[in-house]
Amino acid sequence: MFSKKEEKTDYTVEKCIACNNMIKRKFKTGDFLFKETSDCPSCKGKIRIEKIFAETIKA
Amino acid sequence: MDFTNFNVDQIFGLGDDTNPLLWLIWIIPIVIFMFYGQRIQLQITSGDIKKNIEKLKQLKEESRKELIDYIKKELKPKADPTERLDRFISYFTIMPVDMDPTGIIPKVRHIMRSREEYTRSQVKAIFSDIDVLEITKIQNLLEVTTTLQLLYKIVNHLFLTAKKQNNYPLILPLQMMLPFIMEEANALKEAIPALKQGQPIGDGIGPMIVGKMMLGTEKQSVAFETVWSQTEHDGRKLYLLKAEGPLATVGRPGDGVEHIVSQYKPDAIVMIDAAVKLEGEESATVAQGFGAAIGGIGTDRFQIEEIATKNNIPIFAIVIKQSIKEAITTMTKEIADKADEICLQVYEMIAENTKSGQSILVVGVGNTIGVSQ
Repeated sequence: MFSKKEEKTDYTVEKCIACNNMIKRKFKTGDFLFKETSDCPSCKGKIRIEKIFAETIKA
Repeated sequence: MDFTNFNVDQIFGLGDDTNPLLWLIWIIPIVIFMFYGQRIQLQITSGDIKKNIEKLKQLKEESRKELIDYIKKELKPKADPTERLDRFISYFTIMPVDMDPTGIIPKVRHIMRSREEYTRSQVKAIFSDIDVLEITKIQNLLEVTTTLQLLYKIVNHLFLTAKKQNNYPLILPLQMMLPFIMEEANALKEAIPALKQGQPIGDGIGPMIVGKMMLGTEKQSVAFETVWSQTEHDGRKLYLLKAEGPLATVGRPGDGVEHIVSQYKPDAIVMIDAAVKLEGEESATVAQGFGAAIGGIGTDRFQIEEIATKNNIPIFAIVIKQSIKEAITTMTKEIADKADEICLQVYEMIAENTKSGQSILVVGVGNTIGVSQ
């Protein structure tokens, strides 16, 4: 009766190897840790997946 | 007050002016509870256990359905795999005789590996074109479904036996164990989405740390689904070992450690693994200690302890505390955020316990799903 509903969202954190710029976005199938995904829009360095995690929000 | 002035008839309701109905009201329940107390308790407890059995049945059926749907939707097999998968789910493992425990470890290892290899070859046989990542994912999903099926069968068997025999004491151990069984069953069910999507799980924190240390180094295969590489830190040579990511596997760390120790004779071994936290402990806390930090059935731990003892190599351990649920579901933010701190602790541990010029074997233990290197 008093238990709160939990909502879980999966996120991927990407980090530029050159400028350390971090981007947090929703997880996409095919993501895995340390995968090089794209080039950094600001310094053109390689962007690598740094973290993948689930965040729980009590609704 | 005079306590000696009492009437026995009044106390037991035996006097002439006492209503016999009142006398019956308290004497009948005593007689009922004396002869049927255990049966009444059995009925009350049964209701609760029945609810949990229904929940277990539901979890078992849902996990089976999710596995079959995943295979049909994502891997598109030529023939319907349902019948074959149902056969795998019902598979059992007979452990070796332990009356004479000498030499039992190689027997256990042999049986477990035969089972693994058989499942792998059968999964391969269902699909004409399947990559290794998908094979390991299906193996893990099969393991989840098989465990849920086994839990349901055992709990149901114990319950029905107690009911059949009308034996209340027989149901007590089940009543005590059921909350733990349900916790594990719910965690297994919640692990399915992470396994299907190939996300890192809490148990993958060890491989995550070593995988991070391995970035930019040349990786080589050292044992089945296990990789290693060399690097240098603070004048020390580091041999890094982990399961091959991002496959859903724990690799064979025992074989890997044995190979590296026999080839390179490191001066110390550092093992990083997830550990089940005690009640009251906070999640994602890091603890340091001694000994081989590795779970599982015990064969890899035995192998590592044996080779380390033989070569007189100290084993240091770093564990990251988490609940059973956290260990097998998508890694939580709290655990993922600890990665950099754990890396620093590994380097500190190496600096404190070894000298410049020495070599150290660092092992990241755990399921490396979603964690490359």
